[in-house]
Amino acid sequence: MKPFDAYLHTILTEGGMEAQRHGSSTVEAQHLLLAVAAQEGTAPQRILASFGLDYPAVRAALEAETQHSLSMVGVSPSSFGLPRPNTVTPSHQPRMGETGKLAIERGFASASRKRDLRPAHVLLGILRAEVGTVPRALALAGVDRAELLARVQSSITDDGIA
Amino acid sequence: MSDSDIPVHQDPADALAAVVAMRRLADQLEDAAVEQAMRAGWSWPQVAEALGVTRQAVHKKHAKRLIVAGVKLRRRAP
Repeated sequence: MKPFDAYLHTILTEGGMEAQRHGSSTVEAQHLLLAVAAQEGTAPQRILASFGLDYPAVRAALEAETQHSLSMVGVSPSSFGLPRPNTVTPSHQPRMGETGKLAIERGFASASRKRDLRPAHVLLGILRAEVGTVPRALALAGVDRAELLARVQSSITDDGIA
Repeated sequence: MSDSDIPVHQDPADALAAVVAMRRLADQLEDAAVEQAMRAGWSWPQVAEALGVTRQAVHKKHAKRLIVAGVKLRRRAP
């Protein structure tokens, strides 16, 4: 398996585990972002960390986005007081959700040839979304998405791929 | 609840994000509530009726997860 294919496989698999952990039946862009942030020693993880977005920070930003959005309609998740459900579902991989699909499609579309694809293209695809949970979470965390996008793009260019 | 009680936001992004977050919360709440009911000895038909869905739907969605969680599942209502 080529390095990019192995990386993508890891992100999709771990994204699925993130979705399950969050009780989601679909893998969305935010689950892929968590998976990207968790891959220690990879270029996309280092770029995220340089913007203060290590794995715990991404989790916190996504949690803050949920709380903020719920508060817009006067809902507090803690007000129900129910125990956390058991979310273990072995032998059942959640399917890819719409925002997850879009992130992957945008990542692929940002490389001119398939053999030019690098791990950073996956992050690029996730960050290209202008609306939705991920850009809102980044904004709430005080991250300049355009600046982050530019950094990811330049890391790909520096790698010798236009 | 009258129409005027439904909050309308200036920024549609906030209102749309609230819809997404509430769907997510509803899914998590359903998981927790079904697990709690089944641990308390409710039957599948009772849970299904309370949720307003078919027995098949609630079973398909939750049975595997609850079995893994070690919840004793009742086969039929008393």
